[in-house]
Amino acid sequence: MATFQRHRLTPWILLAPQLAVIAVFFFWPAAQAIVQAFYIEDPFGLGHEFVWFENFARIFTSFEYLRALGVTALFSVSVAVGAMSLALLLAVQADRVIHGAHSYKTLLIWPYAVAPAVAGVLWMFMFDPNLGLLSAGLENLGIGWNHRVNGGQAMLLVILASIWKQMSYNFVFFLAGLQSIPKSLLEAAAIDGAGPWRRFWTVTFPLLSPTSFFLLVMNSVYVFFETFGTIDATTGGGPGGATRTLVYKVYEDGFEGYDLGSSAAQSVILLILVGLLTLLQFRYIERKVQY
Amino acid sequence: MATLRLDGLKKTYPNGFVALHGLDLEIADGELLVVVGPSGCGKSTLLRMLAGLEDITAGDLYIGEARVNPLEPADRDIAMVFQNYALYPHMSVAGNMEYALKNRGVPKEARRRKVEETASLIGLQDLLDRRPRQLSGGQRQRVAMGRAIVREPQVFLFDEPLSNLDAKLRVQMRLEIRRLQKRLGVTSVYVTHDQVEAMTLADRLIVMNEGRIEQLGSPMTLYDQPASTFVAGFIGSPAMNFLSAEASGRTLSLPCGNQLHAPVDAHGHVTLGIRPEHLVPVEESDDALAVQVELVEPLGADTLAYVQLDGQAEPLVVRFDGARRLEEGDRLWLAPDLERLHLFDPEQGQRLTTTEAITTP
Ligand SMILES: Nc1ncnc2c1ncn2[C@@H]1O[C@H](COP(=O)(O)OP(=O)(O)OP(=O)(O)O)[C@@H](O)[C@H]1O
Ligand SMILES: [Mg+2]
Repeated sequence: MATFQRHRLTPWILLAPQLAVIAVFFFWPAAQAIVQAFYIEDPFGLGHEFVWFENFARIFTSFEYLRALGVTALFSVSVAVGAMSLALLLAVQADRVIHGAHSYKTLLIWPYAVAPAVAGVLWMFMFDPNLGLLSAGLENLGIGWNHRVNGGQAMLLVILASIWKQMSYNFVFFLAGLQSIPKSLLEAAAIDGAGPWRRFWTVTFPLLSPTSFFLLVMNSVYVFFETFGTIDATTGGGPGGATRTLVYKVYEDGFEGYDLGSSAAQSVILLILVGLLTLLQFRYIERKVQY
Repeated sequence: MATLRLDGLKKTYPNGFVALHGLDLEIADGELLVVVGPSGCGKSTLLRMLAGLEDITAGDLYIGEARVNPLEPADRDIAMVFQNYALYPHMSVAGNMEYALKNRGVPKEARRRKVEETASLIGLQDLLDRRPRQLSGGQRQRVAMGRAIVREPQVFLFDEPLSNLDAKLRVQMRLEIRRLQKRLGVTSVYVTHDQVEAMTLADRLIVMNEGRIEQLGSPMTLYDQPASTFVAGFIGSPAMNFLSAEASGRTLSLPCGNQLHAPVDAHGHVTLGIRPEHLVPVEESDDALAVQVELVEPLGADTLAYVQLDGQAEPLVVRFDGARRLEEGDRLWLAPDLERLHLFDPEQGQRLTTTEAITTP
């Protein structure tokens, strides 16, 4: 009995450091944000006033916010779909040649190790209207490139940078998923008369669905939150708010506009939004991927 | 239904390893050919080449009249049962069975009928909606069979289909495979490393060794007239006993001092093969081999005894009636069945005999 008691305590002790980190860096700020969302604070932090839901009401009637919502929708769908499908395409190609060769896989995850801001800067330089190699190349082809002026081009740039950044992560998971599919299944399918294309869609893809589902959840979180660094370093939300996503607007309103109440309310909404999205994915998609 | 013809079929793997050294073989329509051999002798390689999963390095493969070397697996009209079954885990039993029909564009209604027909043939009718993970090993095996049968292919290929089952189920499925194969009359190649399975299933049997056919024949031919010590040691359980002896014409002298009448003329050093069941216990006499029991293995119907004979390094295995009581240390006299002695070249292991040797006194 005594040992049993002790064993019940051990997991908590082992978890404690992790729990402490989560408490300090997630629960505490989240609680703060929720509290803040109900106050209006003056920019100099001299006084604040409890205002019930006024911050939320302001947000939902603001054209700027609705625009950011639209930008986010376009951005997140493009990045998630792009990063996942490109990664899958590459993983399928790599799976054909790699049979457990570990060194390749290690190389291929490198982009993931690059910090979002660095990735952003990298892409910004490549496409810099004055200095960039790629923008110069486009110029030669007769395509004028200036993402500082052209909102569509700015959007394209952040989408590309964000896809590039996330692709390696997806790639590694897809590759691992592909390599865990027994070769004999595909051989059986080949003997059963399925060509390569049909084999992929009727055997490989369904067997990858747990991996795809996991990546869908991870990529959603990524596009909503982690792309901040990339956007900040590449376009800074511009031009004229063309690349201002929800998370970027939280930052702008809070740290540049000093409207802490609105910023906090926005972050609460964003949290709820992503929470709901994840819940939805678990309820409706996860059920379909089990076999 | 079709014949299968292999013409100098050779396989060299990309790393330079020669897995098959030119196989020549004809398999008759409706025949069940069993390929048996130790691990790594190239059984799976052969089967995978027949299926089209491995390229043929040299030689020709014909199914019926058609040379199929360049054909994809899908176009060879063969079905294969894998050792691990390779069932599609995300499809139901019915889905697994109809997959091949779907790929061939068979209409839905016809597919359903065919699947149900096959399912009742092999006793799967109540499991059609299950997923593979909801089945027992034996049931999975059955689904794998069903998936092969439903297509009505020209040729069945089996790669150790029973090796994941327990002993009892293995015997049962063995009978069932035999029954189905005869009933459907589909030409089949069956790979196993279990010699009992090989003997009981085969119309004809191939013993393979290091990528070569060591001997081809009916199970009883291989048992009665093994072409080499390799085959002799592989077919029959427990394995044949090998003794060293000196031959002079028809007289064989054993190191223990006994002399035996040889089935064929031979001279010099030879290897004498005697199966455990061909050593008969007799009354004490000068002609009989005097042995001492080292170890007894009672199996119920039979009792195996490992006995020591003077001048032999290895103990001999002898099969006794299960009713016979034996103790370690017992002294016994054994008489070999002189019509069933086998002589082999001691270096090459080749049989020293003509095919009539068994019948000539
Ligand atoms: N892809 C490959 N590259 C090189 N050598 C291979 C390859 N596949 C198999 N081999 C070799 O070819 C030989 C025959 O292999 P195979 O799988 O046909 O054996 P097997 O008779 O089926 O054995 P088991 O009873 O263990 O299944 C083995 O020595 C094996 O190491
Ligand atoms: Mg094998």
